[in-house]
Amino acid sequence: MAKHRGRGFATIEYPTGMNQNGDPSQAWIKLKPDGRVDVFSGTVDIGQGSKTVHTQIVADALGVPYDWVTMDNTNTDSSAVCTGTFASRGTFIGGNAVRLAAERVRERIIDIASKELEIDPSDLEIENGEVIAKGAPQKKIGIPDVAGAATYNYGELISGSSTALKPFADVDDSTGQVEIEPHSAISYAACVADVVVDDETGEVVVEKLVQVYDVGRAINPTLVEGQIEGGAIMGLGLGLTENSYPYYPSPENRGGEFGAYLGPALHDLPELDNVIIENPSEDGPFGAKAIGEMANNAQPPAIATAIFDAVGVWVTEMPATPERVLEALEAKREPRRDGKRVIFDEHISVRTVSSNGGEGFLGVDA
Amino acid sequence: MKLTVNGIEQEIFSPPLTPLLHVLRDELDVTSPKAGCQQGGCGTCTVLIDGEPRRSCLTAVAAVDGSEITTLEGLGEPEQLSPVQAAFHERYAAQCGFCTPGMVVAATALIERKGGPVERDEVLEALGGHYCRCTGYVKIVDAVMAASRGQTGAREDEPETGEEAPVMIPGSPA
Ligand code: FES
Ligand code: FES
Repeated sequence: MAKHRGRGFATIEYPTGMNQNGDPSQAWIKLKPDGRVDVFSGTVDIGQGSKTVHTQIVADALGVPYDWVTMDNTNTDSSAVCTGTFASRGTFIGGNAVRLAAERVRERIIDIASKELEIDPSDLEIENGEVIAKGAPQKKIGIPDVAGAATYNYGELISGSSTALKPFADVDDSTGQVEIEPHSAISYAACVADVVVDDETGEVVVEKLVQVYDVGRAINPTLVEGQIEGGAIMGLGLGLTENSYPYYPSPENRGGEFGAYLGPALHDLPELDNVIIENPSEDGPFGAKAIGEMANNAQPPAIATAIFDAVGVWVTEMPATPERVLEALEAKREPRRDGKRVIFDEHISVRTVSSNGGEGFLGVDA
Repeated sequence: MKLTVNGIEQEIFSPPLTPLLHVLRDELDVTSPKAGCQQGGCGTCTVLIDGEPRRSCLTAVAAVDGSEITTLEGLGEPEQLSPVQAAFHERYAAQCGFCTPGMVVAATALIERKGGPVERDEVLEALGGHYCRCTGYVKIVDAVMAASRGQTGAREDEPETGEEAPVMIPGSPA
């Protein structure tokens, strides 16, 4: 009876966003007369940071300082439509919606600045809140002046809207093929788990998780890290303690109380080593893919392989509770068939044959 | 019954066995303590009762008649955050924020009790009964340790000396 160390790893690929149902995210952006930017996007920030990331995307796509941009997603009544905050789609799909809308606003800003400066739009660029003539930086106009001119001289509201939508991927029944890829970008991740397994109690302790995530482009690395850390602890829970079966997905039967569902607490926190890999996607906003839901996918299989490495048994159903680990160890020690102890071991079983090789038995070809 | 909540004396009219949590939230409209589990398991309802962190969901209001209660609202103002609040803000220690009121209040008590830098295992001890579903706790532990060392108010993502400055997208807050 002893504690055994083991190391295991798992890799995953994750389709960013959920596109096969043709689910849109919309955004609408308008400029106030003082040049400040109001964004109405449907994507709801539930703590993952999409509000911050979308604000960054708009600021960068427009060429204005971050604090000029106000993200208003305070209500679902007046906001643009977004299918939802799930499936790692916030940055990629919602982010594309605000980026495309911001690009349209940018065009309108340049059009009006072109009239004010009497310079062709193609010779203008926006930098840090100012529209500047390419190659002649002394010729410029601030965006507040452009927005003021639009409002009071030209009678225009500078605005832009957009929808990020990948159309429904229909399956052709005769060929079984789809015409469009159902996903937009594939993210990759790997996780290495170091565990200690107690073969007497069945308890598994995860000591370290190394986590490597390809996010396309980390628009906000600290928020990406927050998702990786949060996902690690969720994945740890899925691997060791959390279980909503047999109730899931029926809400009538869900666990009756908080204490009946075990998620990891502070004392379960392993050492975390996080690596962000930037492998830009062609279609994502500034090359971004995703890091949301995918962040808790790789830990359970990594933990399962680490348990195998430690004690030589596979726990094939997650979470790997002490009971399941002990059951697997027991099954290895004493295999059972139909619940009965049946022993066959080719090394110890003596091959038994009749002395004449079976000759004389009916139906047996000697 | 009377309570002094965040420095203001209040007359309490709820029945004596009402949990302090509901007195705060429903009678006094002090809503930072959250009703997470209401059975003592998650810690998000934690408030300071005469300076000690206590679970308000399990505390009958009559049992603390006359006490001083401090909640998150009593620690700082949006424009003037307390050291723990500032550290949580700067170090991204909140995601959905549901656990944050209890974490901040309990961390404040820990730092006050210690009166100096707190170590990692002390944070684990003091916040071990506080449940967070989002952050994976890493940045919460960092923030509490930083607050106890007075390391707030600095730009967290300034590159350390010798480290190469990260490439930033113009306009990014970082
Ligand atoms: S609500 Fe009081 S501990 Fe959860
Ligand atoms: S930040 Fe969401 S529960 Fe802690």
